[in-house]
Amino acid sequence: MTGVELAAQGLRFLRRRVRVLIALTGWSLLEAGQTFLGGYAFARALDDGFLAHRTAVGLWWLAAGAVGIAVGAIGTGRSFRGVAGLAEPLRDALVRRVVVGSLRDAVAHPHRADTAVVSRLTQQVEIARDSFAGLVMVARSFAFTALGALAGLLSLSGALLLVVGPPLLLGLAVFALSLRPLARGQRAFLAADEAFAETVGQTAAGLRDVVACGAEDYAGRRVRARIDAEYAAARVLARWGMVRVAALGVGGRLPVLLLLVLAPWLLDHGVTAGALVGAMTYVTQSLLPALQSLVQGFGGAGTRLTVVMRRLAGDGDGQGSGKRAVDGRADSLVRGEPTTPAVELRAVTFGYGETSRPVVHDLDLVLPMGSHLAVVGPSGIGKSTLAGLICGLLKPRSGEVRVGGEPVSEREPGQLNRLRVLIPQEAYVFSGTVGDNLRYLCAEPVPDDEVWRAADAVGAAQLVGRIGGLDAVVDPAALSAGERQLLALARAYVSPARVVLLDEATCHLDAAAEARAERAFAARPGGTLVVIAHRISSARRAERVLVMDGARALCGRHEELLEHSGLYRDLVGHWEAVGPSSQPARALRYPDGVNAVAGPGLAVDRGHVVAHRAVTQMQPAGDLGHRGALGGE
Amino acid sequence: MRTDTARTANRLLLAAVRHSAPRTAVLCLTSAAGSAAALLLPTALGRALDLLLRHGTAAQAARWTLLCAALLAASVALDAAQTLLSGTTDARTTAWLRDRLLHRILGIGPDAAARFTPGDLVARCTGNAATAGTAATAVASLVATLITPVGALVALTLIDPWLSAVFLAGGPLLALLLRTFAHASSDCVARYQRAQGAMAGRLVEALTGARTIAAAGTAEWEAARVLEPLPELSRQGHRMWQVQGRATGQAAVLVPLLQTAVLAVGGVRLGTGHLSVGELLAASRYAVLATGVGVFVGRLAALVSARAAVARAAEVLAVPAMPYGDRKPPGGDGELELRGVTVVRGGVPVLDGLDLRVPGGSSVAVVGRSGAGKSVLAAVAGRLTDPDAGTVLLDGVPLPRIARQELRREVGYAFERPALFGTTIADAIGYGVDRPAPERCVAAARAAHADDFVRLLPGAYQTERARAPLSGGEIQRLGLARAFAHCGRLLILDDATSSLDSVTELRISEALAHHVPARTRLLIAHRASTAARADLVVWLEDGRVRAVGPHGRLWKLAEYRAVFGGSRSEGAADDGS
Repeated sequence: MTGVELAAQGLRFLRRRVRVLIALTGWSLLEAGQTFLGGYAFARALDDGFLAHRTAVGLWWLAAGAVGIAVGAIGTGRSFRGVAGLAEPLRDALVRRVVVGSLRDAVAHPHRADTAVVSRLTQQVEIARDSFAGLVMVARSFAFTALGALAGLLSLSGALLLVVGPPLLLGLAVFALSLRPLARGQRAFLAADEAFAETVGQTAAGLRDVVACGAEDYAGRRVRARIDAEYAAARVLARWGMVRVAALGVGGRLPVLLLLVLAPWLLDHGVTAGALVGAMTYVTQSLLPALQSLVQGFGGAGTRLTVVMRRLAGDGDGQGSGKRAVDGRADSLVRGEPTTPAVELRAVTFGYGETSRPVVHDLDLVLPMGSHLAVVGPSGIGKSTLAGLICGLLKPRSGEVRVGGEPVSEREPGQLNRLRVLIPQEAYVFSGTVGDNLRYLCAEPVPDDEVWRAADAVGAAQLVGRIGGLDAVVDPAALSAGERQLLALARAYVSPARVVLLDEATCHLDAAAEARAERAFAARPGGTLVVIAHRISSARRAERVLVMDGARALCGRHEELLEHSGLYRDLVGHWEAVGPSSQPARALRYPDGVNAVAGPGLAVDRGHVVAHRAVTQMQPAGDLGHRGALGGE
Repeated sequence: MRTDTARTANRLLLAAVRHSAPRTAVLCLTSAAGSAAALLLPTALGRALDLLLRHGTAAQAARWTLLCAALLAASVALDAAQTLLSGTTDARTTAWLRDRLLHRILGIGPDAAARFTPGDLVARCTGNAATAGTAATAVASLVATLITPVGALVALTLIDPWLSAVFLAGGPLLALLLRTFAHASSDCVARYQRAQGAMAGRLVEALTGARTIAAAGTAEWEAARVLEPLPELSRQGHRMWQVQGRATGQAAVLVPLLQTAVLAVGGVRLGTGHLSVGELLAASRYAVLATGVGVFVGRLAALVSARAAVARAAEVLAVPAMPYGDRKPPGGDGELELRGVTVVRGGVPVLDGLDLRVPGGSSVAVVGRSGAGKSVLAAVAGRLTDPDAGTVLLDGVPLPRIARQELRREVGYAFERPALFGTTIADAIGYGVDRPAPERCVAAARAAHADDFVRLLPGAYQTERARAPLSGGEIQRLGLARAFAHCGRLLILDDATSSLDSVTELRISEALAHHVPARTRLLIAHRASTAARADLVVWLEDGRVRAVGPHGRLWKLAEYRAVFGGSRSEGAADDGS
């Protein structure tokens, strides 16, 4: 965002708040009145009172000035309301922008969602609010003080205004000219300070690693460079501070001297002694301090504001409408043709980044309704990527993904809620009632007893009861990771979607709880279940298993894969290969003893995994992560 | 201890002043001269004005006017010099202090992390150091800020004692009067922060559920939910400004009213011929300058907070840096020996007189329940920390005698949660005493099974680390690659494969056995499979060695098997993409 855009935005913001500006002007005028009276009353007290030997009149004038002080103070106090009327709406708009923008980013790149945004929400927005308010206060105070003082000079004698006005303008001009380079210097300083803090933070957090690597010298040099950079920036700023002093000298101190030098001439041209003293009072007591706070406060606050505003501007523009986008589109899966596959991937290729090697390459996969698939493979091989592709979070580079016969890339996520539900590893529970949490994915009202049944099915009923029922408010921080996962599972069970993807959604549950939940989903009427397996026992429960490897994907029943996939054998029973003496075998002999249910066979044919065909042979099923097996090329 | 820290703080404060001694002295002089000029100016102005009004001799008037001009010019010049000097001196002192802090933090090493959290260290190096950096200038300008109000009061008394009497009597009276009008402070700040916290909490909640929200398409609804406390925030914000406005309004009357009181008495004295117009003008200015005692109090408060910040820096500097020797270990296979090693943490011995010999060229797994002292053993073995008692020897040489760079070349570490450094992925792997050749980095990455996913990143090895979405398992593998790329004779893996699935772990341990040049390997293990592959297992219990032997033999003991009972099941998979 350029400075011009920022200024235009600021103007629009102010134009919408004319009434606040008028009120602010009104109260500020009281302050201007005080300034006016401060010099004027003193001048009249001298001329008409003390110098004319009428002490009482002089004291009355001073009393009038004192009343002016009291009234002006009321104006000062009230003007804060006007400042609030500007600063608070600005803060509201910024908070909205940060929240909406960060949620949008988080949704677009879930794995990059970082909570540093909280500092933007609290610290940076507050900096913007305070600097904006400071800017308004300083500018307002200077403008109205100058107005009062100049009006006072004019009413004492026009000649006085001629003496004081030009140097004041000159001083302001010097200051105005220095603003831009000063702002540049301040921006550089702020940037240097943040870079330093960041580098120190990284070094302090990784101190153990720095020392273990013996990289103290390198780390030290890096931080030292930041220290030096900030030192240099601070020196530049200090130098620009001298320009401010010069502006202050010309605008605030030179007029005093001019008044003195020109005093004989002024006195000859009808300026009274009181008027001269009044003029000096205006300059030293009003103009000089006001100019001083303008010169000292304006540059810093303005720079901080522009820096923070620019940073916040990256967050988008908007107001959340607060409406929930759930489509009422009829769901073909529930009543649709039984022959429509629940999930269908055709020649799907996907990679992160334009040039990087694809994570999923030319994959075909068809899951009929009611099937139960487990996906296994080494870490980082792309299992979550596959889940993301199926539920439409990721768009394939080429190929097509259909859920319930509908192409997912053409639908908004809200519309897909009726077709599929994804429960990721990090279960989402928000502060709200349990009922709201469980009905999160339901567009239409769901009766309580149905929600309870769902909770019971996945084994969350006891937890819901303990929290206090569906109407009780849940504090996610008070739940364990496993308890949050139970609630997320119940949410998925309540949802109208027939295709359920569990992406390590049970990793914090014990094996028995995991088995119960998976079986509940598998037994759901018309339910299709895809489990990204966290434990190998999930694969034993599934009808079919998809083994993802760097080079190949294989799909088949447990027994078939044991026979044909070395990787699968490794995953299931690599213990045997290590040595007979080391057998914590209990983890591998499935205590639940569930055997794969015989279902329609999956054939693998020329790189395709196709349902409804007898198993004839096991062959590579599409290159997942093209070329380059584990272990290099 | 407390007085010790106080003494170090005072010494550090003095050292900071000494570091910029000439500047501080000049600053002290310029600010004193500036105060003097400010004090002389009203009198000179008043005298010049009187001469002009009474039409005294032109020569006299000109002389005083010239003096005023000189004083004004001096004020501006001194002000400029002061601005420049204090700005640069603050920056200089801050940089000096930061440099010392950094040097010491790196010298203390991981022990510093044990005493201060990283956030705390950052706070001490940034904000605290910047505040502490103003100590020298605060000292230098303190005298000057005292000269002004005292001098003004003296000047007021010299003009007319009645005036200073009014000032001295009126000040406290007015302050007291205002105080009775002051309203009780409001709770709006606390409420404001509560509303802010509520929104931050909801936002964090929503961000941790980003994937669920993305899949459900409920981002807008979530935004509305997060923003629910916003009207309350706004309400409390408005109240804060009102409270502040009231306070400011009240404070704004104090000085002008006091000045008016002085003027009133001065006016009466003028009427009776005891005072001239110029003197009254000077008195009105001195009344304002005399209230500058507030500036002095503020400066004193600044000095106090600067000293407190210096004390925070002194706390870090009071921790001694880890000393290193200058020896190079003789040739050897990396035999590691611990003799009577005791480490005490929080008054409790974590390692208790531990004796252990790890034969050169072997791989030894250390197992034990959590809290048995495994990680401390790993830290002591490669001298990330020194034991409270006992010695650790590498090929017969006590670790403290070995030169720092030699030690780090010979001993490599990989951790459960490694911190990665450097701009790119390649930098992160090459980070260490010496930068290994690119081929060695790639080979290390391949051995750590990181090569595969690195090549999937948009820029492969040249991908900017900050832009690469890395899972815990991937970061762990990069940490392993970093250790593999550097290691000399001893490699210590502190639970460095915990986030990896069993297959990947198996493959890495095979690579470790055949493709990594480290001769001796010390593995802190939580999984039975890791222990099973080691030549020897050291079973720790309560900071002592319970037993040493091959895994197969120990496995027969039920208690040994129970050590692994609490661990996660074996199919644990981690998926980063």
